[in-house]
Amino acid sequence: MNQLADNTPGKVILAMGNEAIVRGGLEAGLGYFSTYPGTPASEIGVEYMKLHAEFPHIHAEFSVNEHVAAHGAQGASWAGIRSMVTMKHVGMNVAAEVLHFAGYTGVKAGFLVVIGSDPGATSSTSEQDDRWYSLHTHLPLLEPASIQEAKDYTLRAFALSERYNLPVVLNAPGKLCHNIGSLALGSLPAHPAAKGKFERNPQRYINLFAGSVANHRRAVEAAAALGADAPTLGFNRVIPGTGKTGFISSSINFQYLMESLALLGVTDAPVLKLGLTFPLNADEIASFAKGLDRIIVVEDLEGFVEYQVKWLLYDKNVRLPILGKELFPAWGELDPDVIRDLLAPVLSRTQPARVTRTRELSAALTKDLPPRQGAFCIGCPHRATLYSIVKATDRKVIFAGDIGCYTLSCLPPFRAFDWVTCMNWWVGIAQGRRQKVEGEDLFSYVGDSTFFHSGIPGLINAVQQNANMVLVILDNKWVAMTGHQPSPTTEAAIDGTKMKPVDIKGLLKSIGVTYVRTINPFNIKASTAAIREALRTRTGVRVIIAEQECALQHGRRVTLNPKGFEEYTQIDPGRCQKCNECYIELGCPAIRRRDEGADFHYYIEETACLECGACRDLCPNGAIARTEIRSAKKAAAQ
Amino acid sequence: MIRYDILICGIGGQGAITLGTALKLAAIRAGLSVVGAERRGGAQREGVVTSNVRYRGTVPGEAIDERAMTVSGLIPTAGADMLIAMEPLEALRHAQYLHEDSVVIVNDFPLIPVAVRNGDAVYPTTESIYARLREFTPGVHVFNLDELSRAHFNSLRQVNTISMGLAYGLGNLPVPREALLDTIREQFPDFPKNSRAFELGAELAGKGASRQ
Repeated sequence: MNQLADNTPGKVILAMGNEAIVRGGLEAGLGYFSTYPGTPASEIGVEYMKLHAEFPHIHAEFSVNEHVAAHGAQGASWAGIRSMVTMKHVGMNVAAEVLHFAGYTGVKAGFLVVIGSDPGATSSTSEQDDRWYSLHTHLPLLEPASIQEAKDYTLRAFALSERYNLPVVLNAPGKLCHNIGSLALGSLPAHPAAKGKFERNPQRYINLFAGSVANHRRAVEAAAALGADAPTLGFNRVIPGTGKTGFISSSINFQYLMESLALLGVTDAPVLKLGLTFPLNADEIASFAKGLDRIIVVEDLEGFVEYQVKWLLYDKNVRLPILGKELFPAWGELDPDVIRDLLAPVLSRTQPARVTRTRELSAALTKDLPPRQGAFCIGCPHRATLYSIVKATDRKVIFAGDIGCYTLSCLPPFRAFDWVTCMNWWVGIAQGRRQKVEGEDLFSYVGDSTFFHSGIPGLINAVQQNANMVLVILDNKWVAMTGHQPSPTTEAAIDGTKMKPVDIKGLLKSIGVTYVRTINPFNIKASTAAIREALRTRTGVRVIIAEQECALQHGRRVTLNPKGFEEYTQIDPGRCQKCNECYIELGCPAIRRRDEGADFHYYIEETACLECGACRDLCPNGAIARTEIRSAKKAAAQ
Repeated sequence: MIRYDILICGIGGQGAITLGTALKLAAIRAGLSVVGAERRGGAQREGVVTSNVRYRGTVPGEAIDERAMTVSGLIPTAGADMLIAMEPLEALRHAQYLHEDSVVIVNDFPLIPVAVRNGDAVYPTTESIYARLREFTPGVHVFNLDELSRAHFNSLRQVNTISMGLAYGLGNLPVPREALLDTIREQFPDFPKNSRAFELGAELAGKGASRQ
């Protein structure tokens, strides 16, 4: 049984922050779940999919994008079904239009929006702080600090949403989403949610003219009512102390702060821990500020809490120094070291001796270490496609890539990206440049899932404007980067279950793309030739579909259904000219170098190679061949 | 108060996350509280991966002090009681977490980064890496785990369970042998093979079952 389905209240399990959010939804009797996968929140959707057997009444889906996902959850809420939508922080921009109405219309059953945020941009192209949205959506905002709170807040968010008739937002940074630790379970509801029913309510659901204004007022007043009750809701609390410097913190920074204070030997600081960071209650803040000489606000990014604290205390006519973004940067990710380092001088404390010693040693002994950048997996079709793209274009084009595993091609050895911004930048920016910049050949590529997310309108625009561009759709059949969620083109699940893939060629034809070619990326010579031909054609939108399933997913299915023989691709050292086409230009990590005295040779690590065949096809010396086929039984006996 | 912090580092696909999960599950079996964030590679493979494992607990009769007990997902500088590095260069990259009493377990199996392949950077000699680690702490233990796994089990799949045996044998883990073995039984396929791998690690660390 999935441990998240265990109905043993009080039992402690090991759970990821994302799993704790999933469990909170189950304990709240969730009936509808939708998401577009995005790190760091992706695992929430994956878990709800896995839980289908135990909770068949929960509708769970990977939607085509966040806008669609948010609308789905809103519709379910209106029908009286508790609903949750999850996305990464930048997904909020795509869902923002939906969520600006969500406060106007209110909810019928609890409606929770979970945002996986990414201070430090460790898996994103921006570190935008979504908390600011609440100032204009009027949606209450919860910021759990621990795995346990992630579950408990999720559970309580639904009742909060229903009580105040507003959707609730829960913001969890990556270091909480991917924090793994002890979680005490609560109880699961006895009866699954019933089927919902939509009841007409023009006053709430028809947002036109004066009706829209009235609903706007309703949202503002609902948030104000919640703010007035904030001190009694149990999300905020004070860790008392007699010190004259008080701290306000939320989310995981509360834990970093407490650890930092302990390491600096500060044992008497009063700390206001906020779990509900919008709306704040002016009396609660003023009461905490009473008798303090100053307040230090510890939070990531642009200072959302600090901003509110300052104007609320102004209204209460309370004046004291408030340090926030004067001390902590508005960019990057805070961590225990950053917080301790910045607090030490302000609190006149010295660093622990251990830290000073280690830092001195690190400065002397660990500088100039070679960086380890990400690379495509062994057997990845994107590596082969990118190799062909670089060979065919000789990099004498402008590259417009997009967001997915293939964003790695901005790194060596390919370096085939000229800009990295938001989803589906390939199509919009590429067209703008092409219309106004002479003498550029534009070369775009986008993955299947990203294309379906928001690329289709841009491509229609390109066709209508007769843009001159080549587009390669890297169709690997999965949303691979976020952990292999199904994409609209997924043909079969890992267990072999057939899916209903969208016909990309049919779609392209229907929107007027006349030049469409399909390549198998592992056939390097044919792929390179196809790309060259598309470049030479020089008019209109030319699309190449590079079709090959993600190697990891393909490998998983093969492991479940093994072939009756084994294949080995090897390099013949007698033929190898050490030209570096495979070792450096293709850069496959399964191809390795063995030094033997002054000499060396290249070899393929058998336990790593996935037999994609790309190196064999591109070797100019015919030195790479599939050299051994043994029966699996015979190999096992050896 | 019980506190013991382990940092595991490696490269995507080497099993650092799996090892961290196993060490955490063993803590829950042993009745401890555990927490720790993961840093996963930007993509699926080749990037740096870390797993923080932070054990906390109270001894019987001890009151819970929130100021001392609050623990985040990240081990601070000089905070790791143990570093398990699945690769030598990554051990040195994470040396900032070591203190003078840290135990370091390094897999003597270099994996060459793309930047070194391309000639943009130089991989230090492993001798130099281990000498530098010993400046931080005398407790540096080097094993070729890939080779050990291959030699004893004809597979690379036992690297994690050998590591668990080494961690048990070389550190003062607040988790008993039984909890670790029960976790292996539950989490890994082929318990006889993986329990032998655990014993091999414990034996190499001088704490095998026969020496108890």
